[in-house]
Amino acid sequence: MFKALTFSFSLGLALLAACDKGPTKSSAQPAVASAPAAPTAAAVPAPAKATTTAVEGTKFGAGVTLTETTSVDAILADPNAYKGKTVRVEGMVVDVCAKRGCWFELASSTPGQKLKFKVTDGEMVFPVDAKGKIAVAQGEISVRELTLEETKQNAEYEAKEYGKAYDPASITAPKAIVRIDGTGAVFRDKI
Amino acid sequence: MRWRHLFRVVHRDIGYVAVALTLAYGLSGIAVNHIDHWNPNYRFAERSVDIGPLPAGSLADKEAFVVAQLGLDPASVRGHFQETATELRVFLVEGQEARVDMTTGRGSLKTITKRAVFFEVNALHLNNLKGIWTYVADLFALALMLLAITGMTMMKGDRGLAGRGKYFVGAGLLIPISFLVYMYSA
Repeated sequence: MFKALTFSFSLGLALLAACDKGPTKSSAQPAVASAPAAPTAAAVPAPAKATTTAVEGTKFGAGVTLTETTSVDAILADPNAYKGKTVRVEGMVVDVCAKRGCWFELASSTPGQKLKFKVTDGEMVFPVDAKGKIAVAQGEISVRELTLEETKQNAEYEAKEYGKAYDPASITAPKAIVRIDGTGAVFRDKI
Repeated sequence: MRWRHLFRVVHRDIGYVAVALTLAYGLSGIAVNHIDHWNPNYRFAERSVDIGPLPAGSLADKEAFVVAQLGLDPASVRGHFQETATELRVFLVEGQEARVDMTTGRGSLKTITKRAVFFEVNALHLNNLKGIWTYVADLFALALMLLAITGMTMMKGDRGLAGRGKYFVGAGLLIPISFLVYMYSA
């Protein structure tokens, strides 16, 4: 019995040594040209679409397979045009879910404008200390029109999550939530 | 009885192997149960700063000013983001972040540190590693089931399942059942 257990334990350790981690270092598929997003928010808006360089860095989920990058600005300017489409975006990570690491936000070139990249809790876990890194991410654009009441509830939830004050009186009109339902991403330190 | 002896041996030896992960998962379980009250993975610190109004110029110039005034290493800067018309955020390595009002120079410097031990046990417990760890965790779950079954049946007589054991097993079953009844009746 002891021998059998020792063998099983050793086998387990050997398998663990060969373990492929969730987030992995990768140098993914090559692409064609180069037009990455800038590491600053108030930069020149990127063109709506551009083909980009190879994706290297720490990979999450299924990584990134598309080669054509859609600018965050273009998506936020006309979300319904991208609704339901699978896109590849690129930009600086400016916020990360502090509790579960289940979302991060990409900067646009307009002050304060960000695009949320969301995954099911636990599917991918993005590190909180990734703020300021460059993310290349892929997923489907989701646009959800909220009622005024839902907008208030969402604002209250977000205020709690970001540690900010919530003033229901400031919410006077319904809004739409635009986000990417993510399938994969790659983080790297620089453009 | 022969099978009872086998159960005792299995329970003892599987139990030894499972000690480390049982403690790790138990610790992580308590930690993540209270995720609404604390962050089980990271510790956040923040201090107020006042560096005076930022100079005119590009955001890059402002970023350089913030870094210099706060005595930060320029090599540690990752980038910046203009959050509002007046607020500039400068991101540094390891999650450090300076938030400064560009007109007054007042703001904060935030730091993030991983909670030692908790970060690691949570990564295992919540299967952040994915890959083969998923199957290791499955094996551990099966081992726990095996421990429960062998533990419940390895004694005989008054102290066994047929004796007082059945009352303890019943009590253990009653606790979750009570909560489930409450959940569905609420």
